[in-house]
Amino acid sequence: MITKLSDIFVKIGARKDRKKIAVVAAHDEHVLDAVTAATKQGIVDAVLVGDRERIREIADIHQFDISACEIIDEKENIDAAALAVRMIHEGTAHVLMKGLVDTPTFLRPILQREGGLRTGDILSSVAIFELKGYHKIFALTDGGLNIAPDLKTKVSILRNGVFFMNRLGIEMPKVAVLGALEFVNESMTATIDGALLSKMAQRGQLKHCIVDGPLSFDNAISAESARFKGIESEVAGDADILLAPNIETANVLYKSFVYLAKASPAAIIVGASVPVILTSRADSEVVKLNSISLAASVGMG
Amino acid sequence: MIKRLSDLEQYLRERNVKTRLVVVAAQDENVIEAVVKAKKTGIVDVTLVGNQKIIEDVFTQHNYDLSGMDIINEENNSLAGVTAVRLIKEKKAHILMNGQESYFGASLISKPILDKQNGIVKGKTMSHVAVFELENYHKLVAITDVAVNIAPDLKAKAAIISNAVFLMRRFGIETPKVAVLAAIEVVNDKMPATMDAAMLSKMAQRGQIKNCIIDGPLAFDNAISEKSALQKGIISEVSGDVDILLAPDIETAGTLYQSFMFFANAHVASITVGASAPVVLTTKLDTLETRFNSILLSASTYLT
Repeated sequence: MITKLSDIFVKIGARKDRKKIAVVAAHDEHVLDAVTAATKQGIVDAVLVGDRERIREIADIHQFDISACEIIDEKENIDAAALAVRMIHEGTAHVLMKGLVDTPTFLRPILQREGGLRTGDILSSVAIFELKGYHKIFALTDGGLNIAPDLKTKVSILRNGVFFMNRLGIEMPKVAVLGALEFVNESMTATIDGALLSKMAQRGQLKHCIVDGPLSFDNAISAESARFKGIESEVAGDADILLAPNIETANVLYKSFVYLAKASPAAIIVGASVPVILTSRADSEVVKLNSISLAASVGMG
Repeated sequence: MIKRLSDLEQYLRERNVKTRLVVVAAQDENVIEAVVKAKKTGIVDVTLVGNQKIIEDVFTQHNYDLSGMDIINEENNSLAGVTAVRLIKEKKAHILMNGQESYFGASLISKPILDKQNGIVKGKTMSHVAVFELENYHKLVAITDVAVNIAPDLKAKAAIISNAVFLMRRFGIETPKVAVLAAIEVVNDKMPATMDAAMLSKMAQRGQIKNCIIDGPLAFDNAISEKSALQKGIISEVSGDVDILLAPDIETAGTLYQSFMFFANAHVASITVGASAPVVLTTKLDTLETRFNSILLSASTYLT
């Protein structure tokens, strides 16, 4: 059982197989801060794609050490994004990170059918949390990309999440499909989907995981609460993945963990052939660094 | 727990079940034959509502014993239905049965049963349950619903299951196993039957449908044969040991019912439950045995 976020961060240091992160539109103070901290700690190497002059300016003003970073001058965001994806294909970069560029532009070359990076049906956002009141790390999905996923999309989000947890070494992650209540209620789609996804896992339509839902949040993370409600569930109180019914629920939950439970998650976009980091301005430097560490560690023993 | 319909009579006698059956438009040879046989068991008393003269003629003709039978003369079939339902409502009778049979089951009594003022449904879902004894199955198994609900939605399906569970529990099956039938055993968002099945499974697991174990979607073979389920990699408490088959619609249920009758040497008893009294709705296609069994099955709803 993995109890700490730091346990999934591989100590990379002087390793020769250290990954290289390609930052798209790297001329951004916060992103540069996190990336230079990561290169300094030997977590990743970095190639900064963006406005070279502005990158240098920002580094000067804030005294970020960019001496170890390769810089590619590309002022057009869409071209910077395309170039970074090309580097992934060529094997000269291994992780993508969004800088000062809007999300659709950043994602466009990744999502392209020809020459893109998609492996699954969709991209989805997974945030890994370590919380004081919970006995292990867990994932929350999708607080970033999919707004109001239908059943098919939920299946894809769930598969992405499970695939990712599998790669972290959690073989049969327990997935709680969140609803407002733990009963099937015809007028609440979230509860219907919860029941459907449970059955799909039971029938082997969703592999390498145990799914139970609908579960309200308390039932998902507290066995006692589930017992109190008479819910018999392998997942209740021991969830590895929380699948939220929509982006609002996931986002509010994410922020409540961060602001009220003082969590610093690592967030990553999955569903592409390489880890993609798409942190928001609201994320702290620690979250950005954690996300880089997570991306750098995935698939490394 | 009883495994054969022929055990029903003794099972009810041992438990001192005593009920009164009221027959609507009782001037029907087939129905009278079944009723006479049922009365001999001592489990049911009988009130016949209908054309008294024709009823008495049938008794004379066949040398049936009329003693102890109440007859209420009512030559208008619709009014006979109203009278019978009133007797149920007044608790003077406990089982309703249609007399003058058609080939399509009797709509004769459904009207007074469903009447908002004087009916006996009280907002509940009525549903039909057929209990089968099959040559190649190790216990009784019920099919629902072949007669009342045409294309039930999720809520109706939950109610249909509860009705059947109530009935099967009368036979000492504490927690009946329910298979929700579909064409396939996996969830497919283009097939509502599979989606309803998944939801009903979860509803049982969460205690929203009580006193039963539900699994679905299950194809018929997975429901009835554990081996077939295992071959498909289905691990299910219900597979191969099902007590209740819930069909997705009336066509599926009806076809399955007929296939049991024609190809599986089946014995059957069937009733409609959900009203304040069970209703026996036989048709001309049924046999004496089925009518008799169905009356006893109705009486069994009064087992506690």
